[in-house]
Amino acid sequence: MGKQMTEMLKGVLEGIVLAALSRRPAYGYEITSWLRDLGFTDIAEGTIYALLIRVEQRGLVDVQKVASEKGPPRKVYSLNALGRTNLDEFWGTWSFLVERLEQLHEGGTER
Amino acid sequence: MTPKWIELVTGSLEQKKQYRQYKARIDALPEPYGTAAKALQRYLMYAGGIVLDGETALKMFGDVADLWERAVADGTPIRVIVGDDPVEFADALAQAYTGKHWIDKERARLTDAITRAEEQDAGGGAAAGSGAADDDPRRRGGEARAGDDTGAGDGSGAP
Repeated sequence: MGKQMTEMLKGVLEGIVLAALSRRPAYGYEITSWLRDLGFTDIAEGTIYALLIRVEQRGLVDVQKVASEKGPPRKVYSLNALGRTNLDEFWGTWSFLVERLEQLHEGGTER
Repeated sequence: MTPKWIELVTGSLEQKKQYRQYKARIDALPEPYGTAAKALQRYLMYAGGIVLDGETALKMFGDVADLWERAVADGTPIRVIVGDDPVEFADALAQAYTGKHWIDKERARLTDAITRAEEQDAGGGAAAGSGAADDDPRRRGGEARAGDDTGAGDGSGAP
């Protein structure tokens, strides 16, 4: 992935992760694998981990510790009501951006 | 990672105990994870937008220990954990915590100074600025919020 992709992703990665969690609860590694399957191959696990901590700190997700066969318990994240509201806002902002950028891209000037 | 540091930021004996437990977890990591974990720890404490209050710091240390223990258990390579830029990862991690950061005081000072400067301007040029007086407070509130957000992002690399 190029630098431009990395920079752009910074702004939307939180929305992507919240969207992933809106489908079903998951732990960090599952989210990273899911993103890799989508083609975001260069995203570090630590980046997703830091992001999950951030949304946890802001109260957008609930965390449940689940025992694991090996290693420490896994933290399973699920989207809560506040997280859903936040995700709705994200999609609103996203739609706005996409619409405006498409207008620019096609050279259209209508508003 | 000096004992002095932890005495400075944590109050209770319970917190000291938790810190020792955390330290033991980091020390128990096999190589090369131990080296990586200690380097990250050093950065988080000395350089990376350091978390000031003891409770948040301990939460962060615990999360970091979880991260490395998980990596060891899964055999995840260090580079896959920290990514191409370890500094960026460490900064993002430190900034993820909503606890107090040492830079907060300076951020507040800058925000207040700009607000005061703006008020000064509004007071001096009352006649010229009267047209914009209606939406002025709202705009100022919006800018203050935006300023906080930007500061949180930018401050990470500042130290």
